Amino acid sequence: MKVHKIFAWIAITIGAIYFFVPLIGTFEFSLRMRRGVYSFDAYQSVFTDAQFRATFGFSMLMALVTIVVGMLLIVPTAYWVRLRLPQMRPVVEFITLLPLVIPAIVIVFGYLRLYNSSSWIPFTGSTQGTNILLTFSYVTLALPYMYRSVDTAMRTIDVRTLTEAAEILGAKWPTIMFRCIFPNVMSGVLSGAFITFAIVMGEFTMAALLNRPAFGPYLQLVGANKAYEPSALAVIAFAITWLSMGLIQLVSRFGKLSPARP
Amino acid sequence: MSFLVLESIKKSFGQTQVVKDFNMSIEKGEFVSFLGPSGCGKTTVLRMIAGFESPSDGAISINGRNQNALKTNQRNIGMVFQAYALFPNMNVFDNVAFGLKVAGKSKTEIETRVKEMLKLISLDHLADRYPYQMSGGQQQRVALARALAPKPQVLLLDEPLSALDAKIRVSLREEIREIQRRLGITTVFVTHDQEEALSISDRVVVMNAGRADQIGTPSEIYNRPTTRFVASFVGTLNIIEATVVDPAANTVKVGENTIRLRESIGALKGGDKLSIALRPEAGSLLENAKGDTSLTGQVLSSHFLGSVIRTKLDVGGNQISFDMFNSPDAVLPQSGETLTLRFNAHDFLIIRD
Repeated sequence: MKVHKIFAWIAITIGAIYFFVPLIGTFEFSLRMRRGVYSFDAYQSVFTDAQFRATFGFSMLMALVTIVVGMLLIVPTAYWVRLRLPQMRPVVEFITLLPLVIPAIVIVFGYLRLYNSSSWIPFTGSTQGTNILLTFSYVTLALPYMYRSVDTAMRTIDVRTLTEAAEILGAKWPTIMFRCIFPNVMSGVLSGAFITFAIVMGEFTMAALLNRPAFGPYLQLVGANKAYEPSALAVIAFAITWLSMGLIQLVSRFGKLSPARP
Repeated sequence: MSFLVLESIKKSFGQTQVVKDFNMSIEKGEFVSFLGPSGCGKTTVLRMIAGFESPSDGAISINGRNQNALKTNQRNIGMVFQAYALFPNMNVFDNVAFGLKVAGKSKTEIETRVKEMLKLISLDHLADRYPYQMSGGQQQRVALARALAPKPQVLLLDEPLSALDAKIRVSLREEIREIQRRLGITTVFVTHDQEEALSISDRVVVMNAGRADQIGTPSEIYNRPTTRFVASFVGTLNIIEATVVDPAANTVKVGENTIRLRESIGALKGGDKLSIALRPEAGSLLENAKGDTSLTGQVLSSHFLGSVIRTKLDVGGNQISFDMFNSPDAVLPQSGETLTLRFNAHDFLIIRD
């Protein structure tokens, strides 16, 4: 028993060193911009860069739009599959898993072939069109995480009986959806939203190939041309991801505090 | 004309017909229970009344209006579910107010009606509680208030007591019946618990394999079952195989005992087999017991069950159980002892399958 515990601690220590040493090294390096002393100059340089603000703002906006579009697509889909088409569940699960096995570069090349400026639906023919296409790309990328978090939240409530209870009280579909179902799967919706946010903020391939000024391509650009700022940006990117993960924990804990099982 | 009419209702799921030619008329203010084992189609009939399922054939009408073409949310029916189905994100007040808000009632009207409903179920002090902060019994009372708040024309209860413990179940069923009487609302109650059905209903429908085997008052169902299924499903019943002796005189033989039945044997001939039934509580062992008929047999076993003593008697190869009330000086019959069970010929029922 004791030997097992020692091995467990060794494994945890190795894992922690593997993860934290590069991170600490990156953080330490990001503080060395001013010769001989530690300073936050690299961070100051990043935050005062107009391009940082523009790309960060753009990605943030795209993340918000992706979350809204994704949720409007996924919550009703998960609801209908659970309520009326349970036999379609394996098919829907398979579709939502596809973005995990098809590389982003393949998906974006597919989009470029289908929606280029000389196609029937020329999304890439305008900036607005390309932004819409990028949003859809992000929704596709976030699909596996979003669908699962919403579906898991739906599993915790009796969707069918709640729907029937609302229906017999005279409610129509929009009321049932937005007043009875949505509020009860909110923890899942928020978890999915934070994962989506983290994915979109760091995404490079789709934004770069669709030539949009997103945060991912900016990270790459700075990394190729500057010394200390890329480390500062890497730390910032990690902070965003951790913040999102922390918020997921928070909302799921909040969800557990008010279980209200029917 | 009856208030709720179910006319030749049929329902199939794929190749399986779960409801077969179901007919029933329910009067306004009546409390009717659908009683039957799992899979007999009772919940399917209830769900068709609610509009969750459409009949494959037949018509459902409420107050003279055909409901078949109406959606669930257009029927003005209240329903209480087995799993409570309170909205977890709403407190008690909002749950009860839900139907009224959907109907577009004014704020004052909603407040007055919700308070009235919460008072009816004696939970007016818990208006701010959320479902997860309440017991099962309290949640089901809120579900009842929520169903009644929009003043539905019919109330459907889908095994509302099944998830509750025994004590709460008894008190809540009495409360449901009391509220139903006070409001005079037409109610259909689905249950597989015969005691529940018999204790609170005006009429009971015993369902078997998609059909109504018998419709009658609780007393009729218990004392005069018309089919073997009803006889065996409701209460405990001894089914005795007898041989017809003289059809004209209505006499049959059970072992060495010849008895005269009150009910007509019908078209059977002498020597034909006949199933007759006897409730365990119908007979008595006392010498001076009232009764025009008797059966003599050997005691197989005798058990003390608290308030009653249950004895099994062998009469011509038939095992007959009978109960007698316990008394401090009661003596348990011994195995092998010969006993005579006295009863009225009127207590015998002929079972026609």
